[in-house]
Amino acid sequence: MNGLLSAAGILAGLFQAVPGPQALEDSAAAEAPAAAQAPEVPPAVRSTCPDDLQVLVERPYAARAGIGAGSVVRLRAAPDAEPCPALVAGVFEPRADPSALMSTRPRVILHLPHLQALSDREGEVDYFTVKLRPGVDAAATAREIEPLLAGTQVWPAAEVADRASTTFRVVSRFHAAIAGITLVAGGVFLACIMVLKVQERRGAVAAARLAGIPRRILMGWTVAEAALLSALGGLAGLGVGFAASAAVNAYYQRAYDTVLVFSIVTGEMVLQALVLAVVLGVGAGLVAGVRLLAVDPIDQIGR
Amino acid sequence: MLARNSIRELRYRPLRTLLAVAGVAVATAMLADMLMLGAGIQRSFGELLESRGYELRVSPKGTLPFDTEATIPGWPGLQDSIGAVAGVERVAPVLAMSLGVEEEDGAPGGSSKGIRMLGLGLDAENRAFYAPVEGEGPGAGQVLVDAGLARELGVGPGSSLRLTTASGFAGWGRNATARVSGTGDFVFATRRDMPVAMPLADLQALSGLEDEVSFAMIRVRSGADPEAVRAGIAAAADRVEVVTLAGIAARVDERLSYFSQVAVVLGSVSLFVAALLIGTITAVSVSERLGVIAAVRAIGVGRRRVVGDLTAESVVLAVVGGGIGIGLSVFVAGYLESILADLPGLPAAVSFFVLQPASLLTAYGLVILSGAAAGLVPALHATGREVTEMLRREEP
Repeated sequence: MNGLLSAAGILAGLFQAVPGPQALEDSAAAEAPAAAQAPEVPPAVRSTCPDDLQVLVERPYAARAGIGAGSVVRLRAAPDAEPCPALVAGVFEPRADPSALMSTRPRVILHLPHLQALSDREGEVDYFTVKLRPGVDAAATAREIEPLLAGTQVWPAAEVADRASTTFRVVSRFHAAIAGITLVAGGVFLACIMVLKVQERRGAVAAARLAGIPRRILMGWTVAEAALLSALGGLAGLGVGFAASAAVNAYYQRAYDTVLVFSIVTGEMVLQALVLAVVLGVGAGLVAGVRLLAVDPIDQIGR
Repeated sequence: MLARNSIRELRYRPLRTLLAVAGVAVATAMLADMLMLGAGIQRSFGELLESRGYELRVSPKGTLPFDTEATIPGWPGLQDSIGAVAGVERVAPVLAMSLGVEEEDGAPGGSSKGIRMLGLGLDAENRAFYAPVEGEGPGAGQVLVDAGLARELGVGPGSSLRLTTASGFAGWGRNATARVSGTGDFVFATRRDMPVAMPLADLQALSGLEDEVSFAMIRVRSGADPEAVRAGIAAAADRVEVVTLAGIAARVDERLSYFSQVAVVLGSVSLFVAALLIGTITAVSVSERLGVIAAVRAIGVGRRRVVGDLTAESVVLAVVGGGIGIGLSVFVAGYLESILADLPGLPAAVSFFVLQPASLLTAYGLVILSGAAAGLVPALHATGREVTEMLRREEP
């Protein structure tokens, strides 16, 4: 409890899928349909409209709905609740949060007391965040706080982040598995090409061996050629990778109307890809070289 | 005859053939897996939904069942309205919420283990969510516990559990003791969920949400059109979302569209790689045998026959490599499935990779076709030249 510095109450209906303002209507567009359907049960929420009700509307929805600062919208906590007029105070760019990517409902931000009044939940919050003093053990503090707040769960931020990122960890593992399979396919392809190449020049290699050039030098040439070939292929692949990454970002940013960056090619990835390509090339060169040099040069020439 | 010649040629260079077959096998496995992935999730999820025997779902506006903890207030009146819609045979309401559960060990206020899990409030006749493993369905004051949770808690029929609401202000401070009536396997449970089922009224009372439900399942009368019933309910109740099973499967598919798109891209790349590999092998093989090709053509063997022979070599590579790849794809799919099964929010019974003969046959057919096409190009190119020119080129 010593680490408790401040608490900020938030009604998660703003950001998360719990009962919140389920209808955000342009004041001009909502009249007829709302009146035409008589509710089949008594309204669940009879909210009191707060004075000076203002909202911030997320940019993608504002653009779709043609709403901007100064527009007047009507908010209600449930489709059959009384609507309240609200002034759009501004438009905000949603945080680039991957976990909110699939959120289908538009997000608006209100003052907490306004949303509490609108949803008839005065004095309630869905969750609140606690800022700890530097050096305080978050997990221990969470265990200390939880018994004091019956019916709540207290999570250290790291655990919340960990749970929220499960999807992306799984997708990363999926990508790694696909990359592994791709590496196997690429390695086999490369080995195949190298075998073809050395078979083409078996006569020349046999002649070189008969002329006294040591096997290890010939093996070195073969391996170096394979490594160079795979490095060049790797560089070309990186070019494709950069282009694909740009295409992925362009496509998904447009599809989800977000500034989130979906694909990043880092220097570490470039290095990994090149190293792997060269290692594969060396492996393929060794396979081909051993095959080439295992045969007697007299036989190779005589064949 | 063509195949025999081709097999002889391929056996003549075993390492090259082995590598080519291995490459085609890996590419085919990837293609088959991507075809399975592309259609698997929707099919698997659709089958799971259909197996429960309820054709429609009613949930809070803008949500799907188990999407959120949003509830539908004023349920009794709404249930009457829905029940009156033509074609509705049965309405099964469900209240789902996070609960805390502790084994009651007899000590004052004490308990041995405490776990957060998913509480499902169901009406007495609703058995759509679980398959009983031991004991019987829950009556008043009873719970049926997920078999895995029962093992973890060390409880069985006759044990007592203390339940508390884990979230929500309406249920603050409320708790109840329930007797375990049995254990079961919950079909919609995710790997993280450890559900317990209890009578709807009990969970409503525990949570303080007396007239609320999370969603409802609607069974349509035999012969009635589910879409027409859906429209009827939507017209009668405008504050809820009414979706057919196909609609739910389509929305889930939309949310997981990333995997469909990945499947298309990787499947296409795999097919291209297989064709490229076969094409390369055939091209080299053809260029090595230009003299032989010229000679057989010079003694009167027709171009069609030579092209057929060379293309058959590619087809044999594709048939053998593709066949191995199809077998390999089953293992790879199992491996990839084990990774994606950890994706949160999806029922454990849903599979991303559904083994379908159609997918495997399509992958196999595509690889053979692309292999044939890839082999045909160098074969046509080689045999399109004049015989004399080819013989001259082959002169030492």
